[in-house]
Amino acid sequence: MLMCRDLARIASDYIDDELGTAQKLSVKMHLMMCRYCRSFIGNLRASTALMQAHSSQKLDEEFLRRIEERVADSLNARNTGNRNPE
Amino acid sequence: METATHQSDEDILIQGLKSGSEADFQKAVRLYTPGMMAVASYYLDKASAEETVQDCWVTVIDAIQNFEGRSGLKTWLHRIVANRAKNHLRKHKREVSADFSEALDPELASRFRPNGRWATPPSLRFHEDAESLMENGALSDCLDQHLARLPETQRSALMLYEAHQHKSDDVCNLLDVSASNLRVLLHRARQKIFLMVETFQETGEC
Repeated sequence: MLMCRDLARIASDYIDDELGTAQKLSVKMHLMMCRYCRSFIGNLRASTALMQAHSSQKLDEEFLRRIEERVADSLNARNTGNRNPE
Repeated sequence: METATHQSDEDILIQGLKSGSEADFQKAVRLYTPGMMAVASYYLDKASAEETVQDCWVTVIDAIQNFEGRSGLKTWLHRIVANRAKNHLRKHKREVSADFSEALDPELASRFRPNGRWATPPSLRFHEDAESLMENGALSDCLDQHLARLPETQRSALMLYEAHQHKSDDVCNLLDVSASNLRVLLHRARQKIFLMVETFQETGEC
């Protein structure tokens, strides 16, 4: 029989629908009987949604500007090269 | 994060990149660099990851002419970064070490009795939806702090899967991990976020 700890191990697979039919069924049966695991799954799902709502990896402005400048320089060099072929 | 929501937006952007538009490159840099950093950071330290991503953008100026749209622009860019980062690793003979040994986070594992039932069950007050929760600036800052503390391997997997919405197969290819290892990385990262939110809601502390 599936125990709470087993369910906690495979909770992400359940949320992402990565479990086989038999395992999925045991999780559903367990969830019907265990309010703590229902809460765990609900909270883990909410944490996942939270990650999606959260802006992804924040980057410092300085780093983005460095890339933009390097790209602009390379574009200029290429365009200049195109206008004045050797 | 802002994303190109329609295929037509992406097509217009690609045309702009192919024509060498500086404004479109700026737009693309802001749109796609976070995901590219997530890929590079999986393999490399921060300084090398930044250098690799920067170099990739310069390469893209010419390489975009050969982009045929068989995959999305995001996936294409992420693959370029992954290949470069792997080459960098090979040259420096380093290996990525990730802990795939146990799916359960130790802090969560300690909350079960020997018989496998909860000893310290999860709190039952996580009812708000994600958007409402994110309106709490303190929680958002706390999430940032915890994401920064995650091992790079877990954070990259989580970012690519959740924030950048790659499919599992894609993430496995980008990070060179098996499907089962990806499941462990994702689950470990999610448990840490879950534990953080739970503590924050119970104590108001990060």
